[in-house]
Amino acid sequence: MKVSIFGQAAYRYLPDDFAQHHDSVCDTPYSLVTKDGMYASVRHLIDELLFGARCGLDGVSITEHGQSSYDVMPNPNVVAGALAYVTEAEGLPVAVYPMGRSLGKSREPVKVAEEYALLDVMSGGRLVAGFPVGLSYDASINNGVPPIEVRGRFNENLDLVLRAWRDQIPFAFNGKHIQYPQVNIWPRPLQEQPPVWLTGIGNPATMQQVLERGFGFNFFGFAGSKLTAQRIFPRFWELAEQSNIPRNPYRVGFLQNVAVADTDAEAERLYGKHIEYAFHTGLGAIPAEKLSLPGGIDIRGVQALLKDPADFGMYAQMRTASLRDLIDNGTVVVGSAATVRDQLTELCQQHGIGNLHAMLSFGSMPPELAKGNIKLFAEQVAPHLRKLWSDSGFEHHWWPERLGGKPAPATAKPGEKVSV
Amino acid sequence: MSEVRQETVELWGGKLTVAVSVAGTGPPLLYLHQAAGLAWDPFLQHLTERHTVYAPQFPGTTLGDPYSIHVVDELSDMVLAYEELVRNLGLDNPVVVGQSFGGMLAAELAAHFPSLTDRLVLLAPLGLWRDDAPVTNLLAASAEQLPGILFHNPEVAKVAMAMPEDPETAVVAASQMVWSLGCAGKFIWPIPDRGLRRRLHRITSSTLIVWGRQDAFVPSRYASDFADLIAHSKVAMIEQSGHLPQVEQFDQTAAAVDEFLG
Repeated sequence: MKVSIFGQAAYRYLPDDFAQHHDSVCDTPYSLVTKDGMYASVRHLIDELLFGARCGLDGVSITEHGQSSYDVMPNPNVVAGALAYVTEAEGLPVAVYPMGRSLGKSREPVKVAEEYALLDVMSGGRLVAGFPVGLSYDASINNGVPPIEVRGRFNENLDLVLRAWRDQIPFAFNGKHIQYPQVNIWPRPLQEQPPVWLTGIGNPATMQQVLERGFGFNFFGFAGSKLTAQRIFPRFWELAEQSNIPRNPYRVGFLQNVAVADTDAEAERLYGKHIEYAFHTGLGAIPAEKLSLPGGIDIRGVQALLKDPADFGMYAQMRTASLRDLIDNGTVVVGSAATVRDQLTELCQQHGIGNLHAMLSFGSMPPELAKGNIKLFAEQVAPHLRKLWSDSGFEHHWWPERLGGKPAPATAKPGEKVSV
Repeated sequence: MSEVRQETVELWGGKLTVAVSVAGTGPPLLYLHQAAGLAWDPFLQHLTERHTVYAPQFPGTTLGDPYSIHVVDELSDMVLAYEELVRNLGLDNPVVVGQSFGGMLAAELAAHFPSLTDRLVLLAPLGLWRDDAPVTNLLAASAEQLPGILFHNPEVAKVAMAMPEDPETAVVAASQMVWSLGCAGKFIWPIPDRGLRRRLHRITSSTLIVWGRQDAFVPSRYASDFADLIAHSKVAMIEQSGHLPQVEQFDQTAAAVDEFLG
């Protein structure tokens, strides 16, 4: 099992009554920010990710959100570049893992291919490349893409990126959304093909795409893993079984907030207010309509969500949820190292999860507390989890070769289009 | 009362099947509906008294055929498809009436094909943009905001926007409405300005521009822009009305349209 650290650059110094008056995306007033506060929020995140790498975690991971207060990360590859260089210079055997550049919003897909290729070169072949479709507000409000075109643009851009990495001779690209007279990127990635991961929210079409094209599948547990994991992962594995694809746990990644202390009580005492801050002012403060702009979700998906919104876990209650509810629903796994270890082992075992992305710094956490959490997790939790699938007989095809993976190329044919 | 019958018309090289509601007697009238989809309302029924009304459903907005929106990608192609629709229906010089998003399509159709119609009615059309009077982003609005954006009178909004009582039917209706808005979004997102301002001078039809004075979606300020850019046009400003004057002030709106159509 691969155990990585994931981070978001939340602005850490929002006023106490933020969630009552403001949303965390699109129109959040920048007047709430101080220059020192913004500097510290971004600096602490990078320090903490690097600290995680130095503590021996297997990967450092971030993702992309524009115009938001809960993750000041308009381009994760900027931060990934810093991490790639430092970890290379220090000889840290850690995956650089943007989860990553949103291809549904990108109007410059060749730039994404180039950025990732450069990251792979800078890190000496340690890139793991994530491609989220992109949240509705980010793709369509922040970046102006008509919601109904986001999925098609994602598919087309993904085809282009994979081909730009792979093709050895220059090619013209005549897409529906983007055209280039010639594509011939410098550099190409060092890896024959960096491992590719898509992030899903439960849509079977995304899962099917992952399975058909040989990618890895990431799911984020922000909305409460005790509510959502039991819905999402069985759905994924059932689709795999239907296609006679083996249940290789290394193909699945899960993101979970984790908070560790010496005892369960101490953990709640230390982290409680930061957990509340993280969810009240983060996901909880994204209005529903900004996540589901008309046309952004397929009509069958809209019907499914209207009938049964449980894939979204406790999202609808999150803005004002109590600490107890946040913990009980699994938005965060919190407790002593033993408690956290047991809960995460059970979760990963039950759902066939072979990659855990632990979010160890969140909300308003001061860096000392975050680093304490990272250290405890890396020393007392991660080593136990790492052994989880050692005897499974499966190999990790979605991890860089330099870090012990056995990459298998994605199955996309050149220029292959997937359905809109 | 005129019976509404359903027809389907194949076009775009057989790739697009458009559902058309037809009712009434008299000379042809093409009605292009708003972004949320076609609703056969008293205004349409009123138009059937003196015209044969043809109300096509915009691709993707027909129940059971959501993906036809993916057949046509460019606005100019969509305008060509509508011109083809008019020919395939065999309509000779129809009156063209368009509401909101449908008003934008109607104006585009008349600008691209000036001889297609000699009488055009635009009910609060989209298609222009002013920085000093921005069009509200309807698609990004919350469910709670929608009534206030579309209607002046909250009581009218409550009735007009009521969902079916049966939960299953409500889910089908709500998801179709959301999808329909998304289909229109293909041509009005992020800004409902695809260059119509540059083309309006091509419209030669006599044109009636109808607007609700209190329109909170597309401000009534735009009425004079359309009037300035379309040579043979006049404005009927409807008092105490939001974006849907034919719903909110039926009598005033019907009277203005009747007078114009003669």
